[in-house]
Amino acid sequence: MKPVTINFRSKAAQTLADAQIQQSIEHVYTGFFKGRLLAAAETDNWEDLRTKGKAIKDHTIAHLDYYLGMLADSVEKNGGRVFFAADAAEARQYIIDLAHKRNIKTVIKSKSMVSEEMGLAEAMNTEGFETVETDLGEYIIQLANETPYHLIAPAVHKSRSDVAKLLDDDYKDGDRIPDATELTMMARKKLRGVFERADMSVTGVNFAVAESGSIALVTNEGNGRMSTTVPRVHVAVMGMEKIIPSIQDLSTMLRILIRSATGQRISTYVTMVNGSRKFDEEEGPEEFHLVIMDNGRQKLLEDPQMRESLNCIRCGACLNACPVYRKVGGHAYGWVYPGPIGAIVSPVMTGVKDASNLPSASSLCGACHDACPVKINIPRMLLELRWRTAEGSTDKDERTSSAKERGIWKAWRVGMMGRKRFDIGSRLANLAMRPLAKNGWLKKAPPPISGWTSTRDFPTISARSLKSKLSKRSKGGK
Amino acid sequence: MADRAKFLAAVTASLGRTVVLVPNPDSATAGFDDGVLAKSNAEMAMADANTRSRELVDQMADAAATAGWKVHRACNPETASDLVASICEEKKASSVLRSKHEVLDQIGIESAVTSTGATLGITEHFGDNSSALVDNSKSSAFSADIGITGVDYAIAETGTIVLHPRSGLSRLISLAPPTHIAVLRHGEVLDSLDELFAMERSDFMSGKLAGSMNLISGPSKTADIEGTTVTGIHGPLEVHLIILDHG
Amino acid sequence: MPDYSLNPPLPNRVTLFASCMVDQLAPSVGESAVDVLEHLGVSVEFLDNQTCCGQPAFNSGFRSEALPVGTRFIELFEQVDGPIVVPSGSCAAMVRNYYRDLFRDDPKLLERSSRVAERVFELIEFISRFFGTEAIIGQLNTSATYHKCCHLLREIGIDGEPSAMLSNIEGLEMIPLERADVCCGFGGAFSVKMPDISSAILDEKLDFIEATGSSTVIAADMGCIYQMQGGLRRRGSDVQVLHIAQILAESLRNGSSHGAAL
Repeated sequence: MKPVTINFRSKAAQTLADAQIQQSIEHVYTGFFKGRLLAAAETDNWEDLRTKGKAIKDHTIAHLDYYLGMLADSVEKNGGRVFFAADAAEARQYIIDLAHKRNIKTVIKSKSMVSEEMGLAEAMNTEGFETVETDLGEYIIQLANETPYHLIAPAVHKSRSDVAKLLDDDYKDGDRIPDATELTMMARKKLRGVFERADMSVTGVNFAVAESGSIALVTNEGNGRMSTTVPRVHVAVMGMEKIIPSIQDLSTMLRILIRSATGQRISTYVTMVNGSRKFDEEEGPEEFHLVIMDNGRQKLLEDPQMRESLNCIRCGACLNACPVYRKVGGHAYGWVYPGPIGAIVSPVMTGVKDASNLPSASSLCGACHDACPVKINIPRMLLELRWRTAEGSTDKDERTSSAKERGIWKAWRVGMMGRKRFDIGSRLANLAMRPLAKNGWLKKAPPPISGWTSTRDFPTISARSLKSKLSKRSKGGK
Repeated sequence: MADRAKFLAAVTASLGRTVVLVPNPDSATAGFDDGVLAKSNAEMAMADANTRSRELVDQMADAAATAGWKVHRACNPETASDLVASICEEKKASSVLRSKHEVLDQIGIESAVTSTGATLGITEHFGDNSSALVDNSKSSAFSADIGITGVDYAIAETGTIVLHPRSGLSRLISLAPPTHIAVLRHGEVLDSLDELFAMERSDFMSGKLAGSMNLISGPSKTADIEGTTVTGIHGPLEVHLIILDHG
Repeated sequence: MPDYSLNPPLPNRVTLFASCMVDQLAPSVGESAVDVLEHLGVSVEFLDNQTCCGQPAFNSGFRSEALPVGTRFIELFEQVDGPIVVPSGSCAAMVRNYYRDLFRDDPKLLERSSRVAERVFELIEFISRFFGTEAIIGQLNTSATYHKCCHLLREIGIDGEPSAMLSNIEGLEMIPLERADVCCGFGGAFSVKMPDISSAILDEKLDFIEATGSSTVIAADMGCIYQMQGGLRRRGSDVQVLHIAQILAESLRNGSSHGAAL
């Protein structure tokens, strides 16, 4: 998927003005966010699990080369094939070539953000393979020719009538809007035949277990199970960071992933695939391929300030907690990963120059850090990226701050470096503001703070400083 | 084609090293627990499942109901058989498929199903792996009304049944038909995910890991349309858990 | 988070770190803080030369500009000993949690800043830690609702203490605020750089505030207070947004009895 992070401001503005989407996005708070809080409250050792999860990920990422090697060996021992893809194009090509070689006609896709990085479904359809997204939300946006709006609920922004139009060719505005059950049954029927005839599946990976070469898939719908049962070729695609050392670690990771994502104690289905079918098994794919992709993750790994972002288990909890995401929606972020996690990984993976708006689009409230099951300190990384964009990057093209902005902060610093100038500057500001103010408030503030008064009144600086008031007080005055 | 060695060398370099550093044993992950420890963890899990079987079955019944299973307690095999028959009748089933799990023979599944007029198909013995046979069965799984299986384990923490592949199409028959019935016995319920993965790890360490494992916790569901939960999107709309209680 | 037990000996002297906003925009909040502290038997020193901790520039990424300002802060406040109290969660967080990033290239300065940081307390944190949430008993007849400022909540870890303190004010009807822990949208420069998003977040907050029917909103950080008050005024609302220090001080002026402070 081509990054369009440069359009953040305009796409955000569009979403802010869309009352229907604003209403739809509410669900991530009332459903997912609240769900996570309830699940955490009913889990006695929730904080211990978060600590454990963070420790598992910290350890794994710190030895990523070791565990990737172990994973590849284990998969191959199970009779599977491993392909290491440097970037999305390589990964895509491997899968397309494989589909050609195996005479594949129909490909079913289970949910995978990594496959979105590759733009895989579109590419495979262009190559002539019938390629269908089978996760209901992904299916809906595939029909709409859009990209996912959320990590867990890709079509969260769509209303029922939007979906009706996509699923039913005969549906027009003004018809009775089918309820969610009717629409879901329509989709079930449409996808049934596709499942039966699929000869290849492409799934994501929630966790790849290094010691056994297993992959774990977390789903609610059953399409993940279909994908790992029906077709003769199963391709699993993963970001290179989605790995844990041991089967036993799954009990911790599954608990924190699922409860953080939706608030469920467990998803309807958890599927563990340990390669292709064993010699004495009659069911399941004949071939298992694991595609392990870099596509910019090296850049996060080699960056000590940003490395922690690779601990992410893609649960979406940070999105649900983020007051900014809940207003601007998923598309504004312009690439595969929206919300707070997107704001820190997209700029590094795709290039800071175009994505510099993303780290700035935050009030630094810290709700994401609170919500993260593996305690990723997102605010710290947002601040790091702001520094690089403002002045810190060694790459001149990445320093996108304007001369005006640099000038403002220089002037600020000068003003803060001495008490006298701090006082004088403030008193002058007070004098300038007084004629324009009503009851101590301005309706229109001058640049650089004019953005404030577009929607809010702005307070006038005080006529006297606290220093002055306290010194008068100590002299017996008030 | 990206070279594995080249890819991994780049990862090593990103970590600021020139050679792969083998990690020291770290309590962060269970990956350093040896085979002996894995085996004893698994044995403890099984022992616990047996000594606390009554309590665990009750917890399972609760958790399963919360997860959306229709839970039935059968005090003897005849009751279980009657329950199967009544579900077949309620669903007006004409085609039913079963796995080869011995519990289904124990409850007399054959007569239970056929007495309602439905046909009972059994997935094939292992041994005949011709793809013609597999394809045939695939379409029969997709057109069946009900799939009936036993369980390998259940998990009280989450209301989950665990299925490993058996001969035949045990995977598809618990997925494709719109109704799934699972029959559970005492002694099969583990406390939590910790115990399940202890069992799995022990299997792995002794070279006995199955090709796959499925955890099933209720009917298939989605909330992708306006956040409204709907059951039966791709998997079964209705799932029944028949718990065979001791006399 | 620090272990809060009322074991340490009660401080009787603190240095006030006003924060630039209280100093030059809302000095009455600073005076209220002094009143409350003096009521508890704590004398308050004010370092005349203080200006700012450097947070605004740091948050905008201009660490080179924040560095000298932060250094000046350390130089000033390391000259006094004892607790340093600030009526702002975000400024306390800057010194305690983010100076280690600001000064990361200078180990000596890093060391000096952690000496200072370990003595920095936000006002409510200070009172509840050393004197308890029952220490201020006052009187104020009004209805109010409490907004949980993000840095005070998540960086300093003060959650239920303000409400507990406010519950000791006779006549004060506290109405729970729905989504009290959701951001007001201020975020410093974010409020002017992305005013559309900041205001959309604010609108939701103000809708919930108005739904409580309270006449007053109580909060603990000036940025949030101005964001909410500025928005309420623009809506034509009479709702007042006040700093918790002002509420506590006024309740003491109206009538108090000495708290449980030993």
